[in-house]
Amino acid sequence: MRSIRILAATSFAALIVTALPAGRSDALLAQQMRGSDPPHTLDLTWDRWLSHEEIGQRMELMAKTWPELLTFSSIGTSYGGRKLWLMTINNPDTGPELGKAGMYIEADVHGNEVQGSEVCLYTIWYLMENYARNPEIKRLVDERVFYIVPTINPDGRDFFLYGTGAAARTGHVPLDSDGDGVFDEDGPDDLNGNGVIEQIRKYVPGEGTHRLHPRDPRIMEAVAPWEKGDWVLLGQEGLDNDGDGLVNEDPPGGYDGNRNYGADWQPEYVQSGSNDYPFRNPESRATQDFFATHPNVAGLQTYHNAAGMILRPPGSAWEGDYPAVDIRVYDEIGEQGERILPWFNYHITWQGLYTIHGGSTDWANDGHGIVAFLNELWNEGQYFQSPLLTGQQEDPRSPITRDRSRFFFDDFLEFGENFVEWAPFDHPQYGKVEMGGWNKFGSRINPRFMSMEVFHRNMAFTLYHADQMPLMRMGETTVESLGGGMYKVRVDIRNERLIPTIMARAVTTKAVRPDILTVEGDVEIVAAGWVQDRNRPGRTDLVDQEKLDRILVRSGHPGRTTRTIEYLVRGTGTMKVTYSTAKGGTVSASVTVR
Amino acid sequence: MIIRFSRVTEGLALVVALLLATPGLGAGQVASYLDFDGFTRELRAVVGASNLATMESLGTTLGGRNVWMVRVGDPSGAPLDERPGVLVVGNLEGDHLVGSQLALEAIRYLLNNSANEAVKAALSDRVFYFFPRLNPDGAEAMFTPVKMNRRTNTRPWDEDNDGRTDEDGPEDLNGDGYITVMRVPDPAGRYMIDPSDARAMKRADPSKGESGRFTLYWEGTDNDGDGFINEDGPGGVDLDRNFQHAYPYWEGDAGPHMVSEVETRALMDFTLAHRNIAVIITFGETDNLVTPPDAKGVLAGAKVQALPGFADASHAEIFTSGVASRGGGPGRGSGGGRGGGTSDLRGAQPGRDNDPSSGVRPAMTVAPQDQVYFKAVSDAYKRITGIETVPMHRDAKGAFFQYGYFQFGVPSFSTAGWGLPSADAASQPRGRAGAGAGAAVPGAPDESKGDASLLADLERAGIQPFSAWTRYQHPELGALEIGGFLPYVTHNPPADQLPALGLKHGEFLAELAGMLPRVRIARTEVTALGGGVFSITVEVENSGFLPTSLRHGQTSRSVGPTFLQIKVDDDDILSGAAKTTPVGVLAGSGSREEATWVIRGREGATVAIALHSQKSGRDTATIVLK
Repeated sequence: MRSIRILAATSFAALIVTALPAGRSDALLAQQMRGSDPPHTLDLTWDRWLSHEEIGQRMELMAKTWPELLTFSSIGTSYGGRKLWLMTINNPDTGPELGKAGMYIEADVHGNEVQGSEVCLYTIWYLMENYARNPEIKRLVDERVFYIVPTINPDGRDFFLYGTGAAARTGHVPLDSDGDGVFDEDGPDDLNGNGVIEQIRKYVPGEGTHRLHPRDPRIMEAVAPWEKGDWVLLGQEGLDNDGDGLVNEDPPGGYDGNRNYGADWQPEYVQSGSNDYPFRNPESRATQDFFATHPNVAGLQTYHNAAGMILRPPGSAWEGDYPAVDIRVYDEIGEQGERILPWFNYHITWQGLYTIHGGSTDWANDGHGIVAFLNELWNEGQYFQSPLLTGQQEDPRSPITRDRSRFFFDDFLEFGENFVEWAPFDHPQYGKVEMGGWNKFGSRINPRFMSMEVFHRNMAFTLYHADQMPLMRMGETTVESLGGGMYKVRVDIRNERLIPTIMARAVTTKAVRPDILTVEGDVEIVAAGWVQDRNRPGRTDLVDQEKLDRILVRSGHPGRTTRTIEYLVRGTGTMKVTYSTAKGGTVSASVTVR
Repeated sequence: MIIRFSRVTEGLALVVALLLATPGLGAGQVASYLDFDGFTRELRAVVGASNLATMESLGTTLGGRNVWMVRVGDPSGAPLDERPGVLVVGNLEGDHLVGSQLALEAIRYLLNNSANEAVKAALSDRVFYFFPRLNPDGAEAMFTPVKMNRRTNTRPWDEDNDGRTDEDGPEDLNGDGYITVMRVPDPAGRYMIDPSDARAMKRADPSKGESGRFTLYWEGTDNDGDGFINEDGPGGVDLDRNFQHAYPYWEGDAGPHMVSEVETRALMDFTLAHRNIAVIITFGETDNLVTPPDAKGVLAGAKVQALPGFADASHAEIFTSGVASRGGGPGRGSGGGRGGGTSDLRGAQPGRDNDPSSGVRPAMTVAPQDQVYFKAVSDAYKRITGIETVPMHRDAKGAFFQYGYFQFGVPSFSTAGWGLPSADAASQPRGRAGAGAGAAVPGAPDESKGDASLLADLERAGIQPFSAWTRYQHPELGALEIGGFLPYVTHNPPADQLPALGLKHGEFLAELAGMLPRVRIARTEVTALGGGVFSITVEVENSGFLPTSLRHGQTSRSVGPTFLQIKVDDDDILSGAAKTTPVGVLAGSGSREEATWVIRGREGATVAIALHSQKSGRDTATIVLK
């Protein structure tokens, strides 16, 4: 009996890098030892919230600066006619785009949740600046393809940035929110022309629902039901624009872009904001069209604000949780995120936040077999980060008690930038009132000076997620002669990373095409089977399929696992074994049978 | 053998003759089934001859055919799209050609009978929207040389998810022009001949001492050599399983997601843009018109042919093939030594401890308050058409008419559009009692009954529905028999019935339009209170039969309010109702509601009142202050 061991010829044989921290390369060492910090290729600043057009300009600039790796395009057009910019990061020298696992990163589906777009831009910039300097970054870029859509709701973003910031969560397909046959005719109005939609309060001695905070009259405190206050709150600054006797009852849009996806979609009376049918909005539809034509996408991150959460689907508890093997995958990435992102907690969406029917992460997971996370950027805990300060917040005499802390921060760290003082106003419908309150940057969005940390830590988590997408490699092959012209050929097939080629839930929904194991060559396959235990001689699970030169593996290839396929073949010659997956690439090994 | 074959041929010839009987019966009515070009020509002719109808294309299918929409109404009255509307959709299922022909004949009836009192009223104060042939690509399969019931559109679809699309469809092996079923003698088979009718097959029940003797497949070969026969034929998406209520997720023929198709999206976008639609009716293979929802609000259990389901089941195992066991050796499972249940696995953290069962659940049954209206319309339908029994009706998951009630919030109906003569045995719906739209397993044949009684029902109606089993030598499977239900025959009535059926359905639609809610300002009253102050009371009446909103229209928040608006400055309203004031839901048959304003005004001035109802029309009144 003759046994030959050959190293597999893999499509990426040149580059098999083990995960950190083992195996620091010379280049990394050189970088670590470097005395000075070399200048950036593009010296961009990160302390402003950019308009949709500025985002496009930056992306174009980056694409021109790094044309070998970046392609600037769009996945569609918003209702308002703005491009849904897409940056594709792909190194064509390491293989075609669709042959590599894709990481899709988007932000700003809610127009007022702006900072995620900057995280997206920062990610592109960081990967490019460090591609030549940091071998870990180079490896990530070379092994994967990144699809980055910094703003999936550009109408909402510009409405937020250029306008007052009120009613900016929605997309901008007009909706008749009050059912009067006219669309979007009565939204908030900036009556005093200061660029902010303020709150309205009215002084009503002894008849109100609120009183002024004893230590800070800027703060409105609700009184208990059996008490009387001196103030009432009359809602947002606005007018009865359409003369129907109602104020602000039909603002622009009025749906929620993140309830318009096709899994667990529910009608309006069950899930408000879902907008009549899945993918009705041009923005969600563009996403779906993109996924449908990019089956290689294996990971998704959608940046929102604000809570300090790493959320995984499902968005609702109605259908139960995912199969245990899928949960293990989510847990490992989510828990790593809690270490990378202080003040963030990892939750199931419905449990940690609230129930979301028809959200994008559910659709990604169920409809396309994509491991999907939603980060809620920014947590108010980040204002006062030390144990000393959080301790002080419990002391009622402290100026940073929970109810006053935000005012303190605005007064002494942002120099009063965000709070608009209450001021008298003669309202056409409410009479003598006061208007004041936080401007649009006053909550949910991190202070600009803290952006770098928010951006970098969220990027680092998403890159960890991307690194865990399936990555197929061929391992060793062996040929054993059985006599009589028969041979036993074994090929090791390996997924180097955590995420399987097909998630268990996606096997049920048939969202991903099966892995396909093909053989080309001169030999005749008599039987094929999966080796049950590579370390113990014993049983092989026979492949019970008619076509052994094209075996379907519907359950995919698990994460961080080597499986061995064993062929019994008749004849001699070259045998090319190819393992093709939708999300983990395609790898081949050539075996000489003789 | 030869004699038997010729008998079959005669039977087929008879059926073909019935299906393709000569056109021209009645006042231009068509007594034959029309392909897309013929149908379009006929539709154009009917619409073009009248100034009461227009037609337009609201989409182009994958096959390049138009999705026609015909609007019918006398344009001389109120703007058409502000009137209470009737939406009629035919041929959602590609093999239900009768649906489009009934829609065509109903349009003809309305246009030819505009002098008839009911029709005249409907045309002058209501509007009809017809989508007569929503699935023209699917319908075209009736006119191909080899016929099979093609219910879907033609979107290429990888039914067996093997990375190849439409690679293993059926073949007409015996050359009779039909795709029927192969029954193969097989000691391991699950099926046996039904003792009550030797043509019918049933699943053997071992607990009753029955043994399976046959395996059943669709007629054809294993084109892709994967061991499964005809598991991935051409197309497509079943349009009437592509809508938002009780959508059958992840079932291939329901499409990749809700409203995914050109055709369904065209219909949905139109419907959403026409909130004046107050009633919906589809002609299709589902039913709630002949058998209205029961006292629990549940539709009658499905009643379908068993044999096609048995043939479909022959490749049901394809999705369990190629599934590797996940347990086992050390190379399996997630790495890093952190299996499930170990203490270092923290998992997703509880946050606000939201109640997993919280939130409004979508309604799955017809509200008790609405059932009476379903029954009333059903009674009218049966009285006018004489149809007491439908041959078959299927599970309504993802069906458009279910969307119409459960999400669009209006009375919404479906009917096969033709019936069988009433017989005691036939009038009892088969299927599990109480198995409603959400309960039955789609695609799963009702195994408690075979096809014997359906065969008897159809034959009593003079329809020869079955191609007798005949021997055939199969290249892969050896000696077997081919036979089964003839395509289209069991889903469509003989063509000579179309004119009469069309007439009846036209009458029914006119009567249905007359039942719609219609609000008007019935009475106004002005009282001068002195000092330039006036009290104005306006009474609104619903003269239709149906209420301005069903209960579920309110629950689902999909039916807009009926409201009154007084056209004066806000400052002049001193007391009473708000400027814009909803008047609540008005039951039909003359129910009234009123609103009162106290305003300031000038003696002799006029004040305009507007009445606006999403589904029940509009009205205005001018009041003189005195």
